[in-house]
Amino acid sequence: MATLSDTPLQDDASSAVLRAQGVSLGFSGTTILQGVDLEVQPREFVAVVGASGVGKSTLLRALAGLIAPRRGEVEIPAGNSPDTRAWSMVFQAPRLFPWRRVRANVELGLEGLSLSRAQRRERALEPLALVGLDDYAERWPHTLSGGQQQRVGIARALAVRPRVLFMDEPFSALDAITRRRLQNELVDLRRRSDAAIVFVTHDIEEAVLLADRVLVLGGGKDDTPAGMRDVIDVALPKEERREHPGFAECVQRIEGLIGTSAANDAP
Amino acid sequence: MSRLSRPRRLLISALGLAGFIALWEVSLRAGLLPGNLVPLPSTIPGVFWAEIADGIWFEVVRSSLSHYAVGVAIGSLLGITVGVGAALVPTFNALHAWLARLLRPIPPLAWIPFAIIWFGVNPTAAAFIISIGVFWINYFTSYSAVRSVDPGYDEVAIAFGQQRFVDRLAKVSLPAAAPGILGGLRAGLGQGWMTVVAAELFGIPGIGQRMMEASGLLATDIVVVYMLTIAGLYALFDALFMVVQRRMLRWQP
Ligand SMILES: Nc1ncnc2c1ncn2[C@@H]1O[C@H](COP(=O)(O)OP(=O)(O)OP(=O)(O)O)[C@@H](O)[C@H]1O
Ligand SMILES: [Mg+2]
Repeated sequence: MATLSDTPLQDDASSAVLRAQGVSLGFSGTTILQGVDLEVQPREFVAVVGASGVGKSTLLRALAGLIAPRRGEVEIPAGNSPDTRAWSMVFQAPRLFPWRRVRANVELGLEGLSLSRAQRRERALEPLALVGLDDYAERWPHTLSGGQQQRVGIARALAVRPRVLFMDEPFSALDAITRRRLQNELVDLRRRSDAAIVFVTHDIEEAVLLADRVLVLGGGKDDTPAGMRDVIDVALPKEERREHPGFAECVQRIEGLIGTSAANDAP
Repeated sequence: MSRLSRPRRLLISALGLAGFIALWEVSLRAGLLPGNLVPLPSTIPGVFWAEIADGIWFEVVRSSLSHYAVGVAIGSLLGITVGVGAALVPTFNALHAWLARLLRPIPPLAWIPFAIIWFGVNPTAAAFIISIGVFWINYFTSYSAVRSVDPGYDEVAIAFGQQRFVDRLAKVSLPAAAPGILGGLRAGLGQGWMTVVAAELFGIPGIGQRMMEASGLLATDIVVVYMLTIAGLYALFDALFMVVQRRMLRWQP
């Protein structure tokens, strides 16, 4: 079982925006995942990979506090800013509220923060512009394409200026072209946002393309729960990663850890 | 099956109605139908005008509308409140589930004895009876509308800091269930008219009472005038409601 020993920033634990220790997860009687330790530093991008059904989405929910872990502790230190939220999430399906216009959807997380109506509006238009949809602010969600809806979902999550942004396979429902474009947009966006990102994907290439570190889950069998296989540092330059000679090597290493090269094609 | 173009369909529908009325008129004039049991269609407009000129028409429509409005408003409000509450609060749902199952099959008109004992023969009793049928329709439709809301929306609300019950109610449950709830309201508007007349038959002033009077005098033409009045009022209310409904649900594809 891997530990955090390969984390260069580990000594800087006091500044972590997310801390999880010995987390086990399960449903009614069965434990599906155990022994997850993770510390996420400000602005860091951590990808979580693993085969379908290994518990990636469940782990993300637990890290966000949407469900309670069976064992272990999760902590997202509260900020003291009254107009931001500690975390937000981009779901696998866009899950926009169809009864709200695009801008009102993006404002959802801002409601209840100490912001005036005008400030809320401004704070919603800003991330919409970032994802290139400011012209769509007054549209109904159903008039947007799937990729555009997913971008609104990203804008909604960015609007609250989270310190941790959780993303659960945000691009997996999209066609290859749109996915590629949004991946590039995300790389771009990282330069303009202060959020640390925890990004779940079953696409190992996507993980290596985007992340600073990759948390590899695997090893679950009938009765034994899955766990952390390793945490890989992606020691590649931030730009033009796909073309870098180390890219394929890193992908292969992770595929080896998961124990299946077909994981990439999992639904 | 081939489709009809819209103007053609409207024309055929109009011809069907006109043909029915013409057949009715001709059968009476030819003595094929007993004239003392069925009125001549051509006399209806005149009788209608006489009812209006007497001021009777406005008087009875006004009183029926007032029972109707009160009964529908109370029945809808309570039905939606209890239905939504049952869908969202499991304890409340369990608490009244058997009671609801027990009371539900009782037809609104079976409450007439209690209505008279509790309220007397007066408009409140009619409103009470109307509200019962409207209540059940709204109760069941809003319950199942809220129950079938995608739980994913709730998770979104919680993830974006809207975890308070009132926030989830106002920002997720009610808007998401609005199509179903409005459908129930609309069905209730129709159900209300069914019971208005019946509720007035036992002596509360309104359309129903006027129809009973007319039938006592074998004035079948007056009975028909009020049947058409109910049909017209129903169509009017339904059309108005559709306008509101379409506006409220303009977010739908
Ligand atoms: N609500 C639930 N009740 C019971 N079991 C569940 C529930 N949700 C998930 N599981 C089980 O937990 C395991 C992990 O599910 P999870 O959705 O976290 O997988 P995942 O790694 O995200 O998979 P995928 O890549 O297909 O999205 C699965 O075996 C699943 O059957
Ligand atoms: Mg998943």
